[in-house]
Amino acid sequence: MENTLFILGVNHRTAPVAIREQLAFAEAEVAPALQRLKLATGVGEAALLSTCNRVEVIGVTSDPDRAEEEVVRFLAGDRKVERAAFGDALYHFSGRDAVRHLFRVGASLDSMVVGEPQILGQLKLAYAQAAEAATVGLVLHRAFHKAFQVAKRVRKATLIGHGSVSISSVAVSLAGQIFDTLGNKTAMLMGAGKMAELTARHLKALGIESLLITSRTFDRAVALARELGGTAVPFENYKPYLRIADILIGSVSVTKPILAHHDVEAIIRERKYRPMFLIDLGVPRNFDARLNEIENLYLYDIDDLDAVAQKSLGEREREAEKAEEIVGEEIEAFLKWLAELEIVPTIKDIRVSVERLRDLELTRHRAWLKTLEPAERERIEMLTRGLVNKLLHRVMAGLRHHDSNSPDALYTAEIARRLLGDSTDLNLASIEADDLDDDLIEDSSDDDPL
Amino acid sequence: MGRIRWTGSAAIALGIGAVFHALDLVARGIQTGNIPVANFAESLSFLAWLIALITLVLIVKFRMAIIGAVVGPIVTLAALIALMTMQNARLVLPQSLRSIWLPIHVTLAFLGYSMFVLATAVSLVYLVYESKLKAKRTMRPANSDVPSLEKLDRINYRLLVWGFLMLSLAIVSGAIWADATWGHFWNWEPVESWSLVIWILYAALLESRLTVGWRGRRAAALTIVVFSVLVGSFVGLSLAFPGKHGGTFG
Repeated sequence: MENTLFILGVNHRTAPVAIREQLAFAEAEVAPALQRLKLATGVGEAALLSTCNRVEVIGVTSDPDRAEEEVVRFLAGDRKVERAAFGDALYHFSGRDAVRHLFRVGASLDSMVVGEPQILGQLKLAYAQAAEAATVGLVLHRAFHKAFQVAKRVRKATLIGHGSVSISSVAVSLAGQIFDTLGNKTAMLMGAGKMAELTARHLKALGIESLLITSRTFDRAVALARELGGTAVPFENYKPYLRIADILIGSVSVTKPILAHHDVEAIIRERKYRPMFLIDLGVPRNFDARLNEIENLYLYDIDDLDAVAQKSLGEREREAEKAEEIVGEEIEAFLKWLAELEIVPTIKDIRVSVERLRDLELTRHRAWLKTLEPAERERIEMLTRGLVNKLLHRVMAGLRHHDSNSPDALYTAEIARRLLGDSTDLNLASIEADDLDDDLIEDSSDDDPL
Repeated sequence: MGRIRWTGSAAIALGIGAVFHALDLVARGIQTGNIPVANFAESLSFLAWLIALITLVLIVKFRMAIIGAVVGPIVTLAALIALMTMQNARLVLPQSLRSIWLPIHVTLAFLGYSMFVLATAVSLVYLVYESKLKAKRTMRPANSDVPSLEKLDRINYRLLVWGFLMLSLAIVSGAIWADATWGHFWNWEPVESWSLVIWILYAALLESRLTVGWRGRRAAALTIVVFSVLVGSFVGLSLAFPGKHGGTFG
């Protein structure tokens, strides 16, 4: 087979970060690396996908085994990594499996968090970089655009990207169920833990009006306040600020809860029962669980948040099953196109050689033909052309309607070519595009890049 | 996406229904030469139409599709009851009611009631969502078009304010009309007295929010309680004193 897609790489499941970071390419390195790859190996079409979670070479070859061997050698040399260090972590796919892998990656089915949206952008970047390096040909172009289409279709037809799946995004989405807008709200961070910081960043991104930060180490509070655009409050003096805090995020290390029930009740009354959302990210917990009983106050601890995240993840996984079906359908469509790509030259080949036979026969009987009336000559011309067309039609219909999913399709094409074709004289370049049957060139107007 | 499309279709269906309903109301209005409130069925029909209209505003302007789900069936049921109890005989408005004050007084009162119906629906939705959030049984996170508690509370408040305003104006216009007809602003007839009670209850409800800040859950629960009193007084009055107060509604 002339055009076989292959993929070779490592991802978060097969390789630890220590290996992935050694193999990774920085954004600016990708295009030059692809050109080096093209020179070093026999791979004509290639792209390089390098993210935190994966490093993959996606290429087109006529000999997958050899191409893979060459690419591994290239990676080891180019990244200066011992082959033994990453050899076991490598996966390689070719043909149908490679198409499946590419589509699954694009649709975020192979991601660490299924359905996360970044991967599609990263794949688009990989395509753009390969285009820049001029290592994209017909097959890779088509494969990538099909992958983008599949991703789009999966996103439209399933809920794979829905629901919050991280603690901080769950916290923020709950805030959205309590408060209509964050534009006039105040959040207060008690303790400047990593997860609290992440949640604060989320809230900031959604336009929370003000951010108060208090921490046992005041310097830490000041530093974080400067970074996030908030106000630092001394830990000894945070109590008066509680009544203006609509959202309270606790991540202080404590031995017992820091807010007493009756204190918070008084605060709510003072706030005229405006709702409060308490997010307890601390272990041990910062806020007494019974605070949740207070009117218009909603308290979620880390387990509550995690439960919501797990529920969304479970839903995403169910949606992923639907997505796999879509991927399956699209693989068939792509392989059909690829197989036809192989059959097109065969058909042209056969047509040229059979036409040549006809010419030859007509030339041989030139002398006799000259004795005939023009109308009769015309008749004979039509007769031979009709014969050729009927014969070719049967062959071509056979090739096209052959189940192109099966590898047989290409063997059949090959046999037909050997029996009827005359590949020694074939010059593909001399054949005008108009000679191609229109239905063999699929309409590609629907998959414009990006 | 699917959800939004369904919401859109439901709102359009409600809108088309409201347009045809309006044609019917106009036809009946032309027949009696006044607004169509000559009997219980007509009054119910008019009220259902007003509720549908305000629901549409809430769905389109405030993106509160969920309210349609609560109010839609109620409006449909009310319209059906009106349709089934509607007498086909030509309706004649009693002489005593033929006045310019009839449309003013009745429309104001009905607008007020409609607002209260919707405030109650919003409060019901609030209580359901609130209890889910409290119990940490959050709605499917995919339901991002669910209005927030804050928004539900605010809409409830606005509906109550407008409803209260309409009710106040209805009482004032009724008093002026009564003075013009009977020579007294206030006659202490049952409907008048109960209207005053209802007015005081709604005033207290609004007052509690503005002063002590009873909002959220408590405000929603009280909205439902006061509305129950409103409905109860109507049912009680129409059973105990049929034919009083124009003999149409209550």
